[in-house]
Amino acid sequence: MLGSVKSLFRRQYQEVKAVDGVSFTIDEGELVGFIGPNGAGKTTTLKCLSGLLYPNSGIVSVLGFNPWQRKTEFQKQFALVMGQKNQLWWDLPAMETFILNKEIYEVPNEQFKKTLNELTRLLEVEEILKIQVRKLSLGQRMKCELIAALLHSPKVLFLDEPTIGLDVVMQKKMCDFIKEYNRRYKATIILTSHYMGDVKELCERVVIIDKGKIVFDGKLEEIIKKFADHKIISVTLAKEADPKKFDEIGKVEEYDYPRLIFSIKRKDVPGVAAQVLEKLPVADLNIEEPSIEDIIRELFTGKNYV
Amino acid sequence: MSKYFQVVRNTFQEYLVYRLNFIMWRVRTIIQFLLVYFLWLVIFQNNQVVFGYEKAQILTYILGVWVLRALVLATRTDGVGGEIARGDLSLYLLRPISYIKYWFSRDISDKIFNIGFFIVEAAILIFLLRPPLVFQANLLLILFTLVSIVLAALLLFGLSFLLGLHAFWAPESEWGGSRFLFNIVLEFLSGGLFPLDILPAFLFKFLQILPFSYLIFFPLNVYLGKLTTVQIFQGLVVMGFWLIVINWAIRLVWQRGLKVYSAVGR
Repeated sequence: MLGSVKSLFRRQYQEVKAVDGVSFTIDEGELVGFIGPNGAGKTTTLKCLSGLLYPNSGIVSVLGFNPWQRKTEFQKQFALVMGQKNQLWWDLPAMETFILNKEIYEVPNEQFKKTLNELTRLLEVEEILKIQVRKLSLGQRMKCELIAALLHSPKVLFLDEPTIGLDVVMQKKMCDFIKEYNRRYKATIILTSHYMGDVKELCERVVIIDKGKIVFDGKLEEIIKKFADHKIISVTLAKEADPKKFDEIGKVEEYDYPRLIFSIKRKDVPGVAAQVLEKLPVADLNIEEPSIEDIIRELFTGKNYV
Repeated sequence: MSKYFQVVRNTFQEYLVYRLNFIMWRVRTIIQFLLVYFLWLVIFQNNQVVFGYEKAQILTYILGVWVLRALVLATRTDGVGGEIARGDLSLYLLRPISYIKYWFSRDISDKIFNIGFFIVEAAILIFLLRPPLVFQANLLLILFTLVSIVLAALLLFGLSFLLGLHAFWAPESEWGGSRFLFNIVLEFLSGGLFPLDILPAFLFKFLQILPFSYLIFFPLNVYLGKLTTVQIFQGLVVMGFWLIVINWAIRLVWQRGLKVYSAVGR
């Protein structure tokens, strides 16, 4: 409260770098996942790529254009879909926005009809095009937003949280759709999402950003090799054992009889496995890589990046 | 071009959805008119000429104010500041559409709608009240009146749009504080409450330098035949001057604004 009053008279400004030294190149037809914790700079980067933000320094080039100049030829070839911004006219049926976008992007009649048919069929929204947007459910609206953004068949597509607020069935459908769009139109897609599921299903390559800096750029599997210095040994016990024994063997991640899970440094795995078999009543034993979700969670919770 | 036509069309459809809101707006302008109308009627009870105006001239003036509220003052651009402050501007920046032309299209839609309603309302009220009115027979003056109305509409659009752009720096303009002030000043300085030449001469002279008096007072005085040809041309030149200045200011502010625009709200 005191701070608010004070700021009425004297205001202090602080410079914050939203993104810093973020460099990457994406080839035509690639589908790249862009992940990072909240406030990492994902959306900021997408906004720079879309020409919404003016970068203080550095070079941005999309399709050979400088996005900031917002040339018509550039804008006709790309789209940014923001999960939480509507371009649909709230009080009119979605169809009216589609027609407006057809005119804005100067899409020929025939092509418009064809694209619209395809998109409405793929996303199963044929019935709701004539209903006022405000009366649609979130999922239905999201699908219509996507259609509005794709009517001009963009070659480059930035999807910011496209599955936000959707149920699991819809999430799956949206993912299938994005995959199909990428395949069919050879479109280049950058996708940000908080659901690792989306990224795992769609993207071969991921870029991880944190505190405005890129911390990883490569194939999804490589994350495991690069950041997971440990493996998971999961054991099913045949009968209860003294928990003190577990700690002597190695670091216990979780114990819930009969399941016992160790997290073990890669180089120690053979030795520990042998000890487990020797000292515990084992019914079953598995040695696994940790899941990507776990690795990324660890990454985000302040581990030092190598 | 057809994209802007589609904007006009969509805006039109929106009005049809928001019937109640629109009707309320029209009722408000009718009440505004009646208040001023009866006020002047009382003033003219014991006088033939007040402030150099005859009864018919004043009544025509306030009827004219009513028309120009629909044709000149009515604007949708009070939404510009909010869109910038909320970050909704991004949706237009992403698409090959000009933001200012988009709003201009919406205003055209708005004006068509307003004038349609005005004709019906005015016909009814004139029939009921039967006020003495001035009918201008000089075609040249009517032509000049129309030209000045078009320029006035452009002038108001520019001023209002420019006002909206300050949301780039002051996002709180979404709350409409500055807009409210603008509207009150506008109402008074444009001659919407009374003809400006009843003010002290020095004040009136000063107001003639500002763009506001050309929005309502000037076109109506042209119609009433109170201005010489030289005065009419002087007025049109001042309007032209302000249009150029405002156009230049919009360009400058828009370009500067986009550089500080942070596309908030994701």
